[in-house]
Amino acid sequence: MTLILIIVKFLTIVFGSIIAGFIGSLTGLGGGTVLVPVLTLFYGIPFIFAAGASLISTIATSAGSASAYTKKKIANIKIGIGLEIATTTGAIVGSLTLVFIDKHALIWIVYVIFGLVLLFSLIPTIKKIGKEVPPEMKPDWSTKLFQLTGSYYDERLRKTIKYHGVRWWLGEIVMFFAGFVSGLLGIGSGALKVLGMDWAMNLPMKVTTTSSNFMIGITAATGSSIYWYEGYINLFIAAATAIGVLIGAFFGAKVLVRISNENIRWIFFAILSFLGFDMVFKGLHMINFVITFSLMIQFFISVIISIGLIGILFYNSRRKEWRDKDEKL
Amino acid sequence: MKNYDDEVIISYFLKAGVLISVSFIVAGVIILFVKNGGDGFTLSQMSNYNYALAHGIDSKSVSLNKILSGLSAIDGLYFITVGLWVLIFTPITVVFIGWVSFLDDKNYLYVGMASIVLFNLFFAMLVVPRFLV
Repeated sequence: MTLILIIVKFLTIVFGSIIAGFIGSLTGLGGGTVLVPVLTLFYGIPFIFAAGASLISTIATSAGSASAYTKKKIANIKIGIGLEIATTTGAIVGSLTLVFIDKHALIWIVYVIFGLVLLFSLIPTIKKIGKEVPPEMKPDWSTKLFQLTGSYYDERLRKTIKYHGVRWWLGEIVMFFAGFVSGLLGIGSGALKVLGMDWAMNLPMKVTTTSSNFMIGITAATGSSIYWYEGYINLFIAAATAIGVLIGAFFGAKVLVRISNENIRWIFFAILSFLGFDMVFKGLHMINFVITFSLMIQFFISVIISIGLIGILFYNSRRKEWRDKDEKL
Repeated sequence: MKNYDDEVIISYFLKAGVLISVSFIVAGVIILFVKNGGDGFTLSQMSNYNYALAHGIDSKSVSLNKILSGLSAIDGLYFITVGLWVLIFTPITVVFIGWVSFLDDKNYLYVGMASIVLFNLFFAMLVVPRFLV
């Protein structure tokens, strides 16, 4: 009897991970960003176990999707490995910070940071930061020294696009923070990596997203080995999430190609912002700071705030489109 | 001039790593349920998160030295362990392939940079744990 209950428990984690992987790949934030809040908020799993299971599952999804992209030669492996110097260093510092925070019983801080990182990474994702091909920037000294050039074949534009990156040093700085966040929170922090390559180094969006996908695995491997020795990985949970997130990301990638209606993505943004607010509330609730009301009420407040916020953002983005249409008329 | 395509090799390694790892994990889970536990712990102890947290039933309690004996004893927990470590090593092999390919190109700047990345990976794996007790 208890065995059946445990099997059900296992399968519910697999199910939750499938959903997390699915939403993560549809929104481009990655499985871990959704998985950690789902595991801690809905399954009552302690944060460190959630982070451990999530980080190691992130490797599976990163490797799975990166294998497709590298074959098509869109991801730039050279630039990726160069930037990994900063992300792996950041991951070591980040995971050691988590160990410190955990040993001093300050885990509420991580909940708050997690919520804020989730909410802030929604902004560039919604705005889709740069355009497909970035505005031309003059090559600088780092372009030549670090050979930041490349080309790929764009299937939609049907031509080979040549590109070059600039400001390598700025990219490394952003990547350090991306690695730090990854090690601290147990996520891939793909949004920050995209920011580093798109905003700092002025690389095309396709190269940015595919290269960051491939880099996430290396960063997560660094953090995971520290997590392993610290005992943050519960094998029962990690086995379930690794399988689940992989399945979810696989279907997410299939569906992503077919989605023609952009509006569907807004529902997922609303879910993500709900998770973000709820994580902040949970963290503040742990130390009874401002938020002293019960779990149920936290839930409802998060729902209301996130619906309101996404409603405003949705209206804003639509209004711009309507205005453009009016001008055309 | 290289007579191989490192991007295709990397893609192949990534896919193989994920497949091997997932098959070990799935096999481990099945064994775990059939045998109702592993490594001296019962399933109900493992799946009770707060109990597991308090009693240290986690990756720390699994000794990597016992992997071979665990596998031959068909212990599910060790199958999952191998699966997860294959997963951790998958991206590392990719950096290593990159390193070899940079060396072939006589691109010594990038050989050095890939070496730093590999150093960081092994630093996290071998050196950092010794400072954490």
